[in-house]
Amino acid sequence: MNVFRRDFVVREPLLVGILVLVAVVFSTITHAYSQAYDRRRNQLGQQWYANGNAELQKQRPATAVEDFRTALLYDPQNWDYRLSLAEALTQAGHTNQALNYYQSLWQVNPKNGLVNLHLARFAAQAGNVSEAERYFNGAIFGDWAETAADHRREALFELINFYLQRKDAGQAESQLIILSGNLPEDPVLHTRVADLYSQVGDYQRAMAQYRLAFQLYPKYLPALYGAGKAALQIGDYRSAETYLGRARREDSAGPDVHNLLQVAQSAAALNPFDHGLHESEKIQRVLRAFQIASTRLDACQKTSTPNGSVPPSLAALQEQLKQWKPNANARFLARQPDQIDALFEFSASVEKQSQSLCGQPTSEDSALLALANSHAMDEK
Amino acid sequence: MSTPDTTLTTPSPGHDSVASVADSLRRRITAQLSFDEDRFFLILAVFIGIFAGLAVVCFRITMEWSRLYLLGSAINPSPLRAFLAPALAGLFISLLIFTIFKGAAGSGLNQTKAALYVFDGYIPIRTVIGKFITASLAIGSGHSLGPEDPSLQIGAGLASAVGTRLKLSRKKMRLLAPVGAAAGLAAAFNAPISAVLFVIEEVIGHWSAGILGAIVLSAVSSVVTMRLFLGAEPLFRIPSVGVIRWQELVAYAVLGILGGIASVVFSKAIGWIRPKLKATSTTLQLLYPGIAGLLIGLIAFAGFPQVMGAGYDFMDQAMHDQYTWQILGILAGLKILATTLSFCSGTPGGMFAPTLFIGAMLGGAVGTVERIFFPNLTGSVGTYALVGMGVLFAGFLRAPITSVFMALEVSGDYSIILPVLVANMFSYLISRRLQAAPILELITRHDGLSLPAMEEKREEETLNVEDAMRPRPAIVLDGTKTAAEAWPFVMYTAEPYFLVGIPGQPPAQISFGELRHLVEAGDTRPLRSTQALTMVPYLHPDEDLEDALPLATRYPLIPVVNRADLSQLLGVLDLADVMEAYRKSQIEFPAPY
Repeated sequence: MNVFRRDFVVREPLLVGILVLVAVVFSTITHAYSQAYDRRRNQLGQQWYANGNAELQKQRPATAVEDFRTALLYDPQNWDYRLSLAEALTQAGHTNQALNYYQSLWQVNPKNGLVNLHLARFAAQAGNVSEAERYFNGAIFGDWAETAADHRREALFELINFYLQRKDAGQAESQLIILSGNLPEDPVLHTRVADLYSQVGDYQRAMAQYRLAFQLYPKYLPALYGAGKAALQIGDYRSAETYLGRARREDSAGPDVHNLLQVAQSAAALNPFDHGLHESEKIQRVLRAFQIASTRLDACQKTSTPNGSVPPSLAALQEQLKQWKPNANARFLARQPDQIDALFEFSASVEKQSQSLCGQPTSEDSALLALANSHAMDEK
Repeated sequence: MSTPDTTLTTPSPGHDSVASVADSLRRRITAQLSFDEDRFFLILAVFIGIFAGLAVVCFRITMEWSRLYLLGSAINPSPLRAFLAPALAGLFISLLIFTIFKGAAGSGLNQTKAALYVFDGYIPIRTVIGKFITASLAIGSGHSLGPEDPSLQIGAGLASAVGTRLKLSRKKMRLLAPVGAAAGLAAAFNAPISAVLFVIEEVIGHWSAGILGAIVLSAVSSVVTMRLFLGAEPLFRIPSVGVIRWQELVAYAVLGILGGIASVVFSKAIGWIRPKLKATSTTLQLLYPGIAGLLIGLIAFAGFPQVMGAGYDFMDQAMHDQYTWQILGILAGLKILATTLSFCSGTPGGMFAPTLFIGAMLGGAVGTVERIFFPNLTGSVGTYALVGMGVLFAGFLRAPITSVFMALEVSGDYSIILPVLVANMFSYLISRRLQAAPILELITRHDGLSLPAMEEKREEETLNVEDAMRPRPAIVLDGTKTAAEAWPFVMYTAEPYFLVGIPGQPPAQISFGELRHLVEAGDTRPLRSTQALTMVPYLHPDEDLEDALPLATRYPLIPVVNRADLSQLLGVLDLADVMEAYRKSQIEFPAPY
């Protein structure tokens, strides 16, 4: 012990110095060696990542999965590689593996918007509402690498569509109100929101969004078309005529626009509830509606009964029609103005019944049906 | 245990004041510059940790380069490479082992133990270089082996090289080998606590405060060094453990039982094949690594390349639910086969990683099956895989403490402790019941060595001073009395030494001859004031008998005193008492440390 100690009194500082020197030399060599290997690893990682992306583009996700896994072998923590692997697993149909992969990514970064969005889609597919909502919200309020506002908006659109698929119009509409309050000036986005408002049945808000779209791009066809349809739904036939007329001028080949325009024009011509309409004109319109309904009922009876038997509902309408026919004239209705609305109601009910029992309606039938629906909504 | 302070501070009245100040200054400077032996040993442990960490970084990179060149850069090698690389590399490695690096065969763990117990901790540097080259080639070419055990030997070898260069004593050299081993293992597995525990549990065999500090320092410094170069990320992504439901413990118990059975199968396969292969001619033994490589290539060729190499990437995939339970079960079985082939052939490489691989696959399979039958009950499959690793560790390597702490350290989540304890307990008990000798002991026997069996050593009963001491002797002299007053009590006894009680102090000792001399000289001073008294070290009843042994060889009689009152004599101890206690208990005499 004493010999050892005396020996070290003399040489220990020197020994420590030598050990430090050896450590420095050894570290330098190791550093150079590891740098060379790191460069090669990065190279290989990028190469396999590129291969995987190419395979994904060629719609070969199974091969892409192997490529991304190899890329991860060389850079296990690379976020892009990991995300791409998860995406490839999804495309390859390995749903469970993809889900697990996204969950492991979520554990690393629970605020990542894209990961939350993918997890939300998985939860939505599985019908897990609370989890889907949680992840959708994670995507909406999460972090995005670039164009965060756009990604968040798209996530919100997906959440609204998820609610619509679940026929939860209330939740969808509340999210739409949030979404429409934060929209940039973009006619496409306003039109998308307006279309969704139409889907939830809020035609007034839909019209407001379509109008914002026109203001930005007056000739934007989907907005004109959507606005025409929404105007028809809320009974603003003149506006519908105007929007659809403009849409037709922009896209004369579109058959839908043409048909809808005819419906709008017919509805405008048939509408007995126009403001400031003279009573004689109103009677004429109601009588015209009765005539259209009678024709529809006759035609319907012929087409729907090839073996001679008549459905009970049609038979009942036929019976009512017989009762109405003697009184369906201008003189009777002028004497009995309370019967004007009753006659229109009958015509509307004929159109409603025949809609489910008979074939395609004419534009006048559609117009009368639209009028009936609109009137029913107003009454309600 | 306390020894008397014999340091004397004698004033030097003859010296002038200047000389005295100069002398004092010289002493102070010398004290500042010098290190004591134990403190230098701790500094050395840090350097060994750094060297081992750097060596393991180089080893891992070399292993990866080998894999790149031999198996290609794809995660699943092409069939041709998978078929040829392990076989050809096996033959080349075999040539190296039989010609240049004769000590490089095997895993490295038992060789390190042999170096410690047979060669006083000396590992030739040629063996270290050989292990580095051959193990990196073997694992890189796809042999089903892991880098941890070779890293352990490389670390111990470097420590031995440093110790030899510094001309350390035999005792220090023996201490240095486990320090290096812990550093190598810690860097290889990126888990310092587990490495320290494993070395204590499997290499040293018992807790020793003297070496623990050095082992911990070296393990930590090696991990820090390794992380500087390779990053702090674990070898596989650790899944979150989450809440463990009590019902799940049944599944963990099943995992423990399956793990125990798998451990026994694995051990028995090695125990059966290895001695048979070792008994064959040298020419045949030269061919075995190549043949093993060929068979592993066949397994890969048949569609299971996952069994090649250490398999950490595939453990990661198993932990993240990337396989069906059937595939996981098949992989566990094939890995047992492939590792048995590689290991028994003498190919250098460790069993640490394959053990974890088999455990992860078994755990993943149990977790997946449970999820199929109890979808609302199961936690993450990853947790099962993680517990499975510990299960195999407990069952196959028979390192129960390390297995628990490894799962804790790797997961960083204390909620895993209950499933780990349940599963490991079943695995360990089954393994002990069905396989008497642990695998490391079995391999030691195959190699014709007789190293201490760590499992038995861990369970050895330790003896304390109270197990050996005799009761307080009938005659204890009173230090306040004179020699003449004490003489009548001792004059007719045959005892050569007597204890002298001194108020407020531990007892001293006086010999029969000295007492008689005082009486004859007519000394009237109390005994405690005479020069005839000898201060002796004293012991306490709870101290280890192992620690008391050196004192018993130097002093004829040692008093055993109360810790709260040193003057209260509880008993006495001499060398014959110590020997008698060891003889009665049938415990072997203490190991080198």
